[in-house]
Amino acid sequence: MPADSYGIAIPVGEMYRPRRAEQEKGNRNPSVRGSLAAQSNRIDDTSLIREAQQGNRSAFEVLVRHYDQSVLRLALHLTGSESDAQDVYQEAFLKAYKNLGSFRFECSFYTWIYRIVTNLCLDHLRKRNVRKEDAPVAVDASGEEYSRLEQFADARSGANPERDLMRRELGRKIGTALSALTPRERMVFELKHYHGLKLRTVGEMLHTTEETAKNTLFRATQKLRAALAEMR
Amino acid sequence: MRCDWVRQNILFYVYGELEDDARYEVEQHLARCPECALELKATRKFQATLAEMPVAEPTPNLLAASRMRLQEALETARPGGFWQRLIVEPGVWLRQIRMAPALAAAIFIVGFGGGIGATYNFLANRPVAVSSEEHSDPSRPVESSAITGIRSVTQDPGSNQVNIKYDTVSTQEAQGSLNDRRIQQLLLFAAHNNYNSGVRMDSVDLLTQAPDDSRVREALMYALQNDTNAGVRLKALDGLSGFVRQDSRVKDEVLRALIGDANAGVRMQALRLVEPMKADSNVRSVLTRLAQSDENDSIRSQARAMLAQMPEMD
Repeated sequence: MPADSYGIAIPVGEMYRPRRAEQEKGNRNPSVRGSLAAQSNRIDDTSLIREAQQGNRSAFEVLVRHYDQSVLRLALHLTGSESDAQDVYQEAFLKAYKNLGSFRFECSFYTWIYRIVTNLCLDHLRKRNVRKEDAPVAVDASGEEYSRLEQFADARSGANPERDLMRRELGRKIGTALSALTPRERMVFELKHYHGLKLRTVGEMLHTTEETAKNTLFRATQKLRAALAEMR
Repeated sequence: MRCDWVRQNILFYVYGELEDDARYEVEQHLARCPECALELKATRKFQATLAEMPVAEPTPNLLAASRMRLQEALETARPGGFWQRLIVEPGVWLRQIRMAPALAAAIFIVGFGGGIGATYNFLANRPVAVSSEEHSDPSRPVESSAITGIRSVTQDPGSNQVNIKYDTVSTQEAQGSLNDRRIQQLLLFAAHNNYNSGVRMDSVDLLTQAPDDSRVREALMYALQNDTNAGVRLKALDGLSGFVRQDSRVKDEVLRALIGDANAGVRMQALRLVEPMKADSNVRSVLTRLAQSDENDSIRSQARAMLAQMPEMD
Protein backbone atom coordinates (compact mmCIF):
# COMPACT_ATOMS: atom_id res chain seq x y z
CA MET A 1 0.00 0.00 0.00
CA PRO A 2 1.48 3.38 -0.87
CA ALA A 3 2.59 5.58 1.96
CA ASP A 4 -0.01 8.26 1.54
CA SER A 5 -3.00 6.14 0.78
CA TYR A 6 -4.72 6.98 4.01
CA GLY A 7 -5.46 10.45 5.15
CA ILE A 8 -5.30 10.45 8.88
CA ALA A 9 -8.11 12.71 9.78
CA ILE A 10 -6.57 14.32 12.79
CA PRO A 11 -3.96 17.00 12.78
CA VAL A 12 -1.03 15.15 14.26
CA GLY A 13 1.03 16.77 16.91
CA GLU A 14 -1.89 18.52 18.44
CA MET A 15 -4.54 17.23 20.71
CA TYR A 16 -7.85 16.25 19.29
CA ARG A 17 -10.72 15.44 21.55
CA PRO A 18 -14.14 14.64 20.07
CA ARG A 19 -16.21 17.70 20.76
CA ARG A 20 -19.80 17.25 21.67
CA ALA A 21 -21.04 19.69 19.08
CA GLU A 22 -19.14 17.80 16.44
CA GLN A 23 -20.46 14.46 17.58
CA GLU A 24 -24.01 15.72 17.67
CA LYS A 25 -23.75 16.87 14.11
CA GLY A 26 -23.02 13.24 13.35
CA ASN A 27 -19.42 14.14 12.58
CA ARG A 28 -20.39 14.53 8.96
CA ASN A 29 -17.13 15.26 7.30
CA PRO A 30 -14.26 14.53 9.59
CA SER A 31 -11.79 14.00 6.78
CA VAL A 32 -11.82 17.71 6.00
CA ARG A 33 -10.81 18.45 9.54
CA GLY A 34 -7.14 19.15 9.66
CA SER A 35 -6.57 17.36 6.39
CA LEU A 36 -4.32 20.10 5.08
CA ALA A 37 -2.31 20.14 8.23
CA ALA A 38 -2.11 16.36 8.17
CA GLN A 39 -1.04 16.39 4.55
CA SER A 40 1.76 18.86 5.07
CA ASN A 41 2.83 16.95 8.17
CA ARG A 42 2.91 13.79 6.14
CA ILE A 43 5.21 15.38 3.57
CA ASP A 44 7.44 16.69 6.34
CA ASP A 45 7.38 13.32 8.02
CA THR A 46 8.48 11.48 4.90
CA SER A 47 11.68 13.47 4.59
CA LEU A 48 12.23 13.36 8.35
CA ILE A 49 11.78 9.60 8.39
CA ARG A 50 14.22 9.17 5.53
CA GLU A 51 16.78 11.35 7.26
CA ALA A 52 16.27 9.51 10.53
CA GLN A 53 16.66 6.19 8.71
CA GLN A 54 20.02 7.41 7.51
CA GLY A 55 21.03 7.94 11.11
CA ASN A 56 20.10 11.59 11.65
CA ARG A 57 19.09 11.65 15.31
CA SER A 58 17.82 15.22 15.35
CA ALA A 59 15.41 14.37 12.50
CA PHE A 60 14.08 11.57 14.68
CA GLU A 61 13.70 13.95 17.62
CA VAL A 62 11.62 16.30 15.47
CA LEU A 63 9.45 13.34 14.49
CA VAL A 64 9.02 12.44 18.15
CA ARG A 65 7.76 15.92 18.87
CA HIS A 66 5.08 15.56 16.21
CA TYR A 67 3.56 12.63 18.02
CA ASP A 68 4.74 12.46 21.59
CA GLN A 69 2.06 14.54 23.25
CA SER A 70 -0.78 12.37 22.02
CA VAL A 71 1.24 9.24 22.74
CA LEU A 72 1.79 10.37 26.31
CA ARG A 73 -1.87 11.30 26.70
CA LEU A 74 -2.99 7.87 25.51
CA ALA A 75 -0.50 6.10 27.76
CA LEU A 76 -1.44 8.23 30.73
CA HIS A 77 -5.15 7.59 30.37
CA LEU A 78 -4.70 3.88 29.79
CA THR A 79 -2.17 3.15 32.50
CA GLY A 80 -3.47 5.69 34.99
CA SER A 81 0.03 6.31 36.25
CA GLU A 82 2.54 8.97 35.31
CA SER A 83 5.51 6.73 35.77
CA ASP A 84 3.95 3.89 33.75
CA ALA A 85 2.99 6.37 31.04
CA GLN A 86 6.54 7.61 30.99
CA ASP A 87 7.81 4.05 30.66
CA VAL A 88 5.47 3.35 27.76
CA TYR A 89 6.53 6.61 26.10
CA GLN A 90 10.20 5.81 26.51
CA GLU A 91 9.91 2.23 25.37
CA ALA A 92 7.73 3.10 22.37
CA PHE A 93 10.01 5.75 20.93
CA LEU A 94 13.18 3.76 21.59
CA LYS A 95 11.60 0.80 19.84
CA ALA A 96 10.62 3.05 16.94
CA TYR A 97 14.18 4.40 16.75
CA LYS A 98 15.72 0.97 16.72
CA ASN A 99 13.26 -0.41 14.18
CA LEU A 100 13.04 2.65 11.97
CA GLY A 101 14.94 0.79 9.27
CA SER A 102 12.05 -1.62 8.88
CA PHE A 103 9.52 1.17 8.33
CA ARG A 104 8.84 1.03 4.61
CA PHE A 105 6.04 3.56 4.19
CA GLU A 106 3.43 0.84 3.76
CA CYS A 107 1.29 2.65 6.29
CA SER A 108 1.47 6.15 7.71
CA PHE A 109 4.10 6.79 10.34
CA TYR A 110 1.26 7.80 12.65
CA THR A 111 -0.30 4.34 12.36
CA TRP A 112 3.09 2.71 12.76
CA ILE A 113 4.05 4.53 15.96
CA TYR A 114 0.58 4.03 17.40
CA ARG A 115 0.84 0.32 16.67
CA ILE A 116 3.92 0.21 18.87
CA VAL A 117 2.29 2.29 21.61
CA THR A 118 -0.96 0.33 21.62
CA ASN A 119 0.93 -2.97 21.82
CA LEU A 120 2.88 -1.74 24.82
CA CYS A 121 -0.27 -0.41 26.47
CA LEU A 122 -2.12 -3.67 25.81
CA ASP A 123 0.72 -5.57 27.49
CA HIS A 124 0.48 -3.20 30.40
CA LEU A 125 -3.31 -3.61 30.67
CA ARG A 126 -3.01 -7.39 30.52
CA LYS A 127 -0.42 -7.44 33.27
CA ARG A 128 -2.56 -5.19 35.38
CA ASN A 129 -5.61 -7.40 34.82
CA VAL A 130 -3.56 -10.30 36.14
CA ARG A 131 -2.64 -8.23 39.19
CA LYS A 132 -6.34 -7.31 39.58
CA GLU A 133 -5.56 -3.73 40.31
CA ASP A 134 -8.28 -1.15 40.04
CA ALA A 135 -7.94 1.61 37.54
CA PRO A 136 -8.76 5.03 38.82
CA VAL A 137 -6.12 5.11 41.49
CA ALA A 138 -2.93 6.46 40.03
CA VAL A 139 0.58 6.73 41.35
CA ASP A 140 2.46 9.93 40.68
CA ALA A 141 6.15 10.28 40.05
CA SER A 142 6.89 10.52 43.77
CA GLY A 143 5.03 7.28 44.42
CA GLU A 144 2.03 8.87 46.09
CA GLU A 145 -1.40 7.49 45.19
CA TYR A 146 -4.14 9.73 43.89
CA SER A 147 -7.18 9.49 41.68
CA ARG A 148 -6.57 10.91 38.22
CA LEU A 149 -10.25 11.55 37.61
CA GLU A 150 -10.78 13.09 41.00
CA GLN A 151 -7.87 15.39 40.49
CA PHE A 152 -9.33 16.54 37.23
CA ALA A 153 -12.68 17.11 38.93
CA ASP A 154 -10.96 19.34 41.45
CA ALA A 155 -9.55 21.53 38.77
CA ARG A 156 -12.88 22.02 37.03
CA SER A 157 -15.38 22.34 39.83
CA GLY A 158 -13.97 25.41 41.48
CA ALA A 159 -15.60 26.38 44.73
CA ASN A 160 -18.69 24.15 44.64
CA PRO A 161 -18.03 21.30 47.11
CA GLU A 162 -21.26 19.44 46.41
CA ARG A 163 -20.69 19.43 42.70
CA ASP A 164 -17.10 18.51 43.36
CA LEU A 165 -18.22 15.46 45.31
CA MET A 166 -20.57 14.38 42.53
CA ARG A 167 -17.86 14.71 39.95
CA ARG A 168 -15.47 12.67 42.06
CA GLU A 169 -18.11 10.01 42.36
CA LEU A 170 -18.78 10.02 38.61
CA GLY A 171 -15.05 9.91 37.86
CA ARG A 172 -14.66 6.86 40.09
CA LYS A 173 -17.61 5.16 38.41
CA ILE A 174 -16.29 5.79 34.90
CA GLY A 175 -12.83 4.65 35.91
CA THR A 176 -14.15 1.43 37.40
CA ALA A 177 -16.37 0.79 34.37
CA LEU A 178 -13.45 1.35 31.99
CA SER A 179 -11.15 -0.92 33.92
CA ALA A 180 -13.76 -3.70 33.79
CA LEU A 181 -13.42 -3.87 30.00
CA THR A 182 -11.08 -6.37 28.38
CA PRO A 183 -7.76 -4.79 27.31
CA ARG A 184 -8.78 -4.87 23.67
CA GLU A 185 -12.22 -3.37 24.31
CA ARG A 186 -10.59 -0.71 26.41
CA MET A 187 -8.10 0.08 23.67
CA VAL A 188 -10.69 0.34 20.89
CA PHE A 189 -12.95 2.49 23.05
CA GLU A 190 -10.03 4.71 24.03
CA LEU A 191 -8.83 5.24 20.47
CA LYS A 192 -12.32 5.88 19.13
CA HIS A 193 -13.97 7.81 21.92
CA TYR A 194 -11.13 9.75 23.50
CA HIS A 195 -8.78 10.05 20.52
CA GLY A 196 -11.43 10.39 17.82
CA LEU A 197 -9.74 7.99 15.39
CA LYS A 198 -11.63 6.36 12.57
CA LEU A 199 -12.43 2.69 13.20
CA ARG A 200 -10.59 1.79 10.01
CA THR A 201 -7.42 3.33 11.44
CA VAL A 202 -8.05 1.68 14.81
CA GLY A 203 -8.33 -1.66 13.00
CA GLU A 204 -5.04 -1.07 11.22
CA MET A 205 -3.29 -0.15 14.44
CA LEU A 206 -4.52 -3.25 16.20
CA HIS A 207 -3.86 -5.54 13.22
CA THR A 208 -7.51 -6.31 12.75
CA THR A 209 -10.36 -5.39 10.43
CA GLU A 210 -12.61 -2.38 10.65
CA GLU A 211 -15.53 -4.74 11.17
CA THR A 212 -13.89 -6.36 14.20
CA ALA A 213 -13.05 -2.95 15.62
CA LYS A 214 -16.69 -1.98 15.12
CA ASN A 215 -17.94 -5.04 16.99
CA THR A 216 -15.46 -4.47 19.78
CA LEU A 217 -16.52 -0.84 20.15
CA PHE A 218 -20.17 -1.93 20.26
CA ARG A 219 -19.47 -4.48 23.00
CA ALA A 220 -17.38 -2.03 25.00
CA THR A 221 -20.08 0.63 24.84
CA GLN A 222 -22.78 -1.82 25.90
CA LYS A 223 -20.71 -2.89 28.89
CA LEU A 224 -19.95 0.69 29.89
CA ARG A 225 -23.54 1.76 29.62
CA ALA A 226 -24.69 -1.18 31.69
CA ALA A 227 -22.02 -0.54 34.32
CA LEU A 228 -22.80 3.16 34.58
CA ALA A 229 -26.56 2.53 34.70
CA GLU A 230 -26.14 0.04 37.58
CA MET A 231 -24.14 2.51 39.59
CA ARG A 232 -26.62 5.32 39.33
CA MET B 1 -36.11 -6.28 12.31
CA ARG B 2 -35.54 -2.80 11.01
CA CYS B 3 -35.50 -1.39 14.54
CA ASP B 4 -32.87 -3.99 15.49
CA TRP B 5 -30.64 -2.90 12.66
CA VAL B 6 -31.06 0.78 13.49
CA ARG B 7 -30.34 0.19 17.19
CA GLN B 8 -27.19 -1.64 16.36
CA ASN B 9 -26.08 1.24 14.22
CA ILE B 10 -27.06 4.21 16.35
CA LEU B 11 -23.71 4.12 18.11
CA PHE B 12 -21.83 4.27 14.80
CA TYR B 13 -24.20 6.99 13.63
CA VAL B 14 -23.28 9.07 16.65
CA TYR B 15 -19.57 8.40 16.10
CA GLY B 16 -19.83 9.37 12.41
CA GLU B 17 -18.81 5.90 11.27
CA LEU B 18 -21.73 5.15 8.95
CA GLU B 19 -21.62 5.28 5.18
CA ASP B 20 -23.78 8.00 3.63
CA ASP B 21 -26.59 5.67 2.57
CA ALA B 22 -26.74 3.89 5.95
CA ARG B 23 -26.72 7.24 7.72
CA TYR B 24 -29.62 8.41 5.58
CA GLU B 25 -31.60 5.28 6.39
CA VAL B 26 -30.96 5.68 10.11
CA GLU B 27 -32.03 9.32 10.01
CA GLN B 28 -35.21 8.48 8.11
CA HIS B 29 -36.07 5.73 10.56
CA LEU B 30 -35.34 7.87 13.63
CA ALA B 31 -37.74 10.52 12.37
CA ARG B 32 -40.54 7.95 12.28
CA CYS B 33 -39.79 5.61 15.18
CA PRO B 34 -40.06 7.10 18.69
CA GLU B 35 -38.54 4.00 20.34
CA CYS B 36 -35.40 4.18 18.30
CA ALA B 37 -35.30 7.93 18.86
CA LEU B 38 -35.24 7.14 22.59
CA GLU B 39 -32.25 4.88 22.02
CA LEU B 40 -30.48 7.72 20.24
CA LYS B 41 -31.23 9.97 23.18
CA ALA B 42 -29.84 7.38 25.60
CA THR B 43 -26.67 6.98 23.55
CA ARG B 44 -26.13 10.72 23.50
CA LYS B 45 -26.77 10.91 27.22
CA PHE B 46 -24.15 8.23 27.79
CA GLN B 47 -21.69 10.22 25.73
CA ALA B 48 -22.56 13.39 27.60
CA THR B 49 -21.88 11.57 30.87
CA LEU B 50 -18.46 10.50 29.66
CA ALA B 51 -17.78 13.99 28.40
CA GLU B 52 -18.21 15.24 31.98
CA MET B 53 -14.88 13.60 32.69
CA PRO B 54 -12.61 14.31 29.75
CA VAL B 55 -9.12 12.88 29.58
CA ALA B 56 -6.53 14.86 31.45
CA GLU B 57 -3.72 16.25 29.33
CA PRO B 58 -0.23 15.28 30.42
CA THR B 59 1.28 18.11 32.41
CA PRO B 60 4.05 20.13 30.73
CA ASN B 61 6.41 18.84 33.41
CA LEU B 62 5.64 15.24 32.61
CA LEU B 63 6.07 15.87 28.90
CA ALA B 64 9.37 17.69 29.41
CA ALA B 65 10.67 14.99 31.75
CA SER B 66 9.68 12.26 29.28
CA ARG B 67 11.40 14.06 26.42
CA MET B 68 14.56 14.56 28.42
CA ARG B 69 14.68 10.93 29.48
CA LEU B 70 14.17 9.78 25.90
CA GLN B 71 16.89 12.12 24.63
CA GLU B 72 19.37 10.64 27.08
CA ALA B 73 18.49 7.13 26.01
CA LEU B 74 18.74 8.01 22.31
CA GLU B 75 22.32 9.13 22.79
CA THR B 76 23.38 5.58 23.51
CA ALA B 77 20.84 3.79 21.30
CA ARG B 78 21.73 2.73 17.79
CA PRO B 79 19.28 3.69 15.08
CA GLY B 80 17.84 1.06 12.80
CA GLY B 81 18.96 2.25 9.41
CA PHE B 82 19.73 0.75 6.04
CA TRP B 83 22.31 -1.77 7.27
CA GLN B 84 20.10 -3.04 10.03
CA ARG B 85 17.38 -3.52 7.44
CA LEU B 86 19.70 -5.64 5.33
CA ILE B 87 20.91 -7.71 8.23
CA VAL B 88 17.61 -8.12 10.02
CA GLU B 89 15.52 -8.71 6.94
CA PRO B 90 17.14 -10.93 4.35
CA GLY B 91 13.88 -10.71 2.41
CA VAL B 92 14.54 -7.03 1.81
CA TRP B 93 18.10 -7.81 0.92
CA LEU B 94 17.02 -10.34 -1.66
CA ARG B 95 14.46 -7.95 -3.00
CA GLN B 96 17.19 -5.36 -3.54
CA ILE B 97 19.02 -7.87 -5.69
CA ARG B 98 15.88 -8.85 -7.53
CA MET B 99 15.04 -5.23 -8.14
CA ALA B 100 18.40 -4.67 -9.79
CA PRO B 101 18.77 -7.33 -12.47
CA ALA B 102 20.97 -5.00 -14.47
CA LEU B 103 23.31 -4.63 -11.52
CA ALA B 104 23.33 -8.36 -10.94
CA ALA B 105 24.06 -8.97 -14.63
CA ALA B 106 26.83 -6.36 -14.56
CA ILE B 107 28.43 -8.08 -11.56
CA PHE B 108 28.37 -11.40 -13.41
CA ILE B 109 29.81 -9.87 -16.57
CA VAL B 110 32.58 -8.07 -14.70
CA GLY B 111 33.43 -11.27 -12.83
CA PHE B 112 33.40 -13.31 -16.00
CA GLY B 113 35.44 -10.74 -17.94
CA GLY B 114 37.93 -10.49 -15.08
CA GLY B 115 38.37 -14.26 -15.16
CA ILE B 116 39.00 -14.26 -18.90
CA GLY B 117 41.44 -11.34 -18.57
CA ALA B 118 43.39 -13.16 -15.89
CA THR B 119 43.57 -16.31 -18.04
CA TYR B 120 44.75 -14.24 -20.99
CA ASN B 121 47.50 -12.58 -18.98
CA PHE B 122 48.64 -15.93 -17.70
CA LEU B 123 48.76 -17.43 -21.18
CA ALA B 124 50.23 -14.35 -22.86
CA ASN B 125 53.24 -14.48 -20.58
CA ARG B 126 54.04 -18.02 -21.57
CA PRO B 127 56.85 -18.26 -24.12
CA VAL B 128 54.73 -20.39 -26.48
CA ALA B 129 52.26 -17.54 -27.10
CA VAL B 130 53.72 -16.23 -30.31
CA SER B 131 52.15 -13.81 -32.73
CA SER B 132 51.06 -15.43 -35.94
CA GLU B 133 49.55 -14.12 -39.11
CA GLU B 134 46.31 -15.82 -39.98
CA HIS B 135 44.92 -15.51 -43.42
CA SER B 136 42.02 -17.89 -43.24
CA ASP B 137 38.72 -17.55 -45.01
CA PRO B 138 37.48 -14.07 -44.00
CA SER B 139 33.85 -15.09 -44.27
CA ARG B 140 34.30 -17.62 -41.51
CA PRO B 141 33.37 -15.85 -38.31
CA VAL B 142 35.63 -16.14 -35.32
CA GLU B 143 34.31 -18.06 -32.35
CA SER B 144 33.59 -14.98 -30.24
CA SER B 145 33.94 -16.82 -26.95
CA ALA B 146 37.51 -17.64 -28.03
CA ILE B 147 38.52 -13.97 -28.34
CA THR B 148 40.13 -12.72 -25.17
CA GLY B 149 41.07 -9.23 -26.32
CA ILE B 150 41.79 -6.97 -29.26
CA ARG B 151 45.32 -5.64 -29.50
CA SER B 152 44.97 -3.07 -32.26
CA VAL B 153 42.67 -1.89 -35.03
CA THR B 154 44.15 -0.07 -38.02
CA GLN B 155 42.68 1.02 -41.30
CA ASP B 156 44.83 1.22 -44.42
CA PRO B 157 44.75 4.85 -45.50
CA GLY B 158 42.53 5.51 -48.50
CA SER B 159 40.86 2.08 -48.49
CA ASN B 160 38.30 0.25 -46.47
CA GLN B 161 40.81 -2.45 -45.58
CA VAL B 162 41.08 -3.03 -41.89
CA ASN B 163 43.75 -4.85 -39.96
CA ILE B 164 42.87 -6.19 -36.55
CA LYS B 165 45.24 -7.90 -34.15
CA TYR B 166 43.40 -9.96 -31.57
CA ASP B 167 44.11 -12.60 -29.01
CA THR B 168 42.53 -15.97 -28.71
CA VAL B 169 44.87 -18.32 -26.93
CA SER B 170 47.69 -16.70 -28.88
CA THR B 171 47.67 -13.40 -30.76
CA GLN B 172 45.99 -13.54 -34.17
CA GLU B 173 45.62 -11.05 -36.92
CA ALA B 174 42.79 -10.55 -39.37
CA GLN B 175 42.63 -8.37 -42.44
CA GLY B 176 39.69 -7.55 -44.62
CA SER B 177 37.27 -4.91 -45.78
CA LEU B 178 34.71 -3.29 -43.52
CA ASN B 179 32.04 -5.41 -45.14
CA ASP B 180 33.58 -8.69 -44.02
CA ARG B 181 31.53 -10.41 -41.38
CA ARG B 182 34.61 -11.44 -39.50
CA ILE B 183 35.98 -7.90 -39.43
CA GLN B 184 32.63 -6.51 -38.35
CA GLN B 185 32.38 -9.09 -35.63
CA LEU B 186 35.82 -8.22 -34.30
CA LEU B 187 35.05 -4.52 -34.39
CA LEU B 188 31.83 -5.07 -32.45
CA PHE B 189 33.71 -7.16 -29.97
CA ALA B 190 36.38 -4.50 -29.64
CA ALA B 191 33.81 -1.74 -29.17
CA HIS B 192 32.17 -3.68 -26.36
CA ASN B 193 34.91 -5.37 -24.51
CA ASN B 194 38.36 -4.01 -24.92
CA TYR B 195 40.25 -2.75 -21.94
CA ASN B 196 42.28 -0.42 -24.10
CA SER B 197 40.36 2.78 -24.81
CA GLY B 198 42.52 3.55 -27.88
CA VAL B 199 41.36 0.31 -29.48
CA ARG B 200 37.76 1.03 -28.57
CA MET B 201 38.12 4.48 -30.08
CA ASP B 202 39.45 3.01 -33.34
CA SER B 203 36.74 0.35 -33.51
CA VAL B 204 33.94 2.77 -32.79
CA ASP B 205 35.39 5.12 -35.36
CA LEU B 206 35.34 2.37 -38.00
CA LEU B 207 31.90 1.20 -36.99
CA THR B 208 30.51 4.69 -37.55
CA GLN B 209 31.20 4.09 -41.23
CA ALA B 210 28.55 1.37 -41.30
CA PRO B 211 25.86 2.45 -38.86
CA ASP B 212 23.06 1.07 -41.02
CA ASP B 213 23.63 -2.37 -39.58
CA SER B 214 21.40 -2.69 -36.53
CA ARG B 215 24.12 -4.53 -34.58
CA VAL B 216 26.52 -1.70 -35.27
CA ARG B 217 23.97 0.81 -34.11
CA GLU B 218 23.45 -1.28 -31.02
CA ALA B 219 27.20 -1.25 -30.35
CA LEU B 220 27.38 2.50 -30.80
CA MET B 221 24.51 3.03 -28.38
CA TYR B 222 26.19 0.70 -25.95
CA ALA B 223 29.44 2.64 -26.26
CA LEU B 224 27.62 5.95 -25.79
CA GLN B 225 25.97 4.68 -22.66
CA ASN B 226 28.74 2.69 -21.07
CA ASP B 227 32.15 3.61 -22.35
CA THR B 228 34.32 5.14 -19.67
CA ASN B 229 36.27 7.16 -22.19
CA ALA B 230 34.63 10.43 -23.24
CA GLY B 231 36.39 10.38 -26.62
CA VAL B 232 34.84 7.01 -27.43
CA ARG B 233 31.42 8.24 -26.34
CA LEU B 234 31.83 11.31 -28.52
CA LYS B 235 32.74 9.14 -31.53
CA ALA B 236 29.73 6.90 -30.90
CA LEU B 237 27.54 9.98 -30.74
CA ASP B 238 28.91 11.08 -34.11
CA GLY B 239 28.13 7.69 -35.56
CA LEU B 240 24.56 7.86 -34.30
CA SER B 241 23.93 11.40 -35.52
CA GLY B 242 22.10 10.32 -38.65
CA PHE B 243 19.62 8.18 -36.76
CA VAL B 244 18.31 10.48 -34.06
CA ARG B 245 15.28 11.28 -36.14
CA GLN B 246 14.41 7.85 -37.46
CA ASP B 247 15.20 5.60 -34.51
CA SER B 248 13.47 6.48 -31.28
CA ARG B 249 15.85 4.28 -29.30
CA VAL B 250 18.76 6.29 -30.64
CA LYS B 251 16.91 9.47 -29.70
CA ASP B 252 16.32 8.19 -26.17
CA GLU B 253 19.95 7.22 -25.86
CA VAL B 254 21.11 10.65 -27.00
CA LEU B 255 18.69 12.32 -24.58
CA ARG B 256 20.00 10.14 -21.79
CA ALA B 257 23.54 11.20 -22.64
CA LEU B 258 22.37 14.80 -22.74
CA ILE B 259 21.12 14.60 -19.19
CA GLY B 260 23.44 12.11 -17.66
CA ASP B 261 26.82 12.22 -19.38
CA ALA B 262 29.53 13.45 -17.09
CA ASN B 263 31.45 15.09 -19.90
CA ALA B 264 30.31 18.55 -21.00
CA GLY B 265 31.73 18.03 -24.51
CA VAL B 266 29.59 14.93 -25.00
CA ARG B 267 26.56 16.76 -23.65
CA MET B 268 27.23 19.68 -25.96
CA GLN B 269 27.47 17.37 -28.97
CA ALA B 270 24.24 15.60 -27.93
CA LEU B 271 22.59 19.00 -27.65
CA ARG B 272 23.61 19.75 -31.25
CA LEU B 273 22.15 16.44 -32.39
CA VAL B 274 18.75 17.03 -30.85
CA GLU B 275 18.49 20.63 -31.97
CA PRO B 276 16.52 19.82 -35.15
CA MET B 277 14.01 17.95 -32.97
CA LYS B 278 13.41 20.57 -30.33
CA ALA B 279 9.65 20.54 -30.93
CA ASP B 280 9.49 16.94 -29.67
CA SER B 281 7.95 16.92 -26.21
CA ASN B 282 10.61 14.64 -24.72
CA VAL B 283 13.36 16.78 -26.15
CA ARG B 284 11.64 19.86 -24.81
CA SER B 285 11.37 18.52 -21.31
CA VAL B 286 15.05 17.56 -21.36
CA LEU B 287 15.95 21.02 -22.63
CA THR B 288 13.92 22.63 -19.86
CA ARG B 289 15.76 20.52 -17.33
CA LEU B 290 19.14 21.42 -18.84
CA ALA B 291 18.27 25.11 -18.99
CA GLN B 292 17.56 25.01 -15.27
CA SER B 293 20.14 22.73 -13.86
CA ASP B 294 23.04 21.81 -16.12
CA GLU B 295 26.28 22.64 -14.41
CA ASN B 296 27.82 23.96 -17.59
CA ASP B 297 27.03 27.62 -18.33
CA SER B 298 27.18 27.38 -22.07
CA ILE B 299 24.92 24.30 -22.18
CA ARG B 300 22.43 26.04 -19.96
CA SER B 301 22.38 29.14 -22.10
CA GLN B 302 22.23 27.16 -25.34
CA ALA B 303 19.32 25.08 -24.04
CA ARG B 304 17.58 28.26 -23.00
CA ALA B 305 18.15 29.78 -26.43
CA MET B 306 16.75 26.67 -28.11
CA LEU B 307 13.68 26.75 -25.92
CA ALA B 308 13.16 30.42 -26.69
CA GLN B 309 13.19 29.77 -30.44
CA MET B 310 10.64 27.06 -30.15
CA PRO B 311 7.25 27.48 -31.79
CA GLU B 312 4.38 28.09 -29.37
CA MET B 313 2.57 24.84 -28.76
CA ASP B 314 -0.71 26.18 -27.39
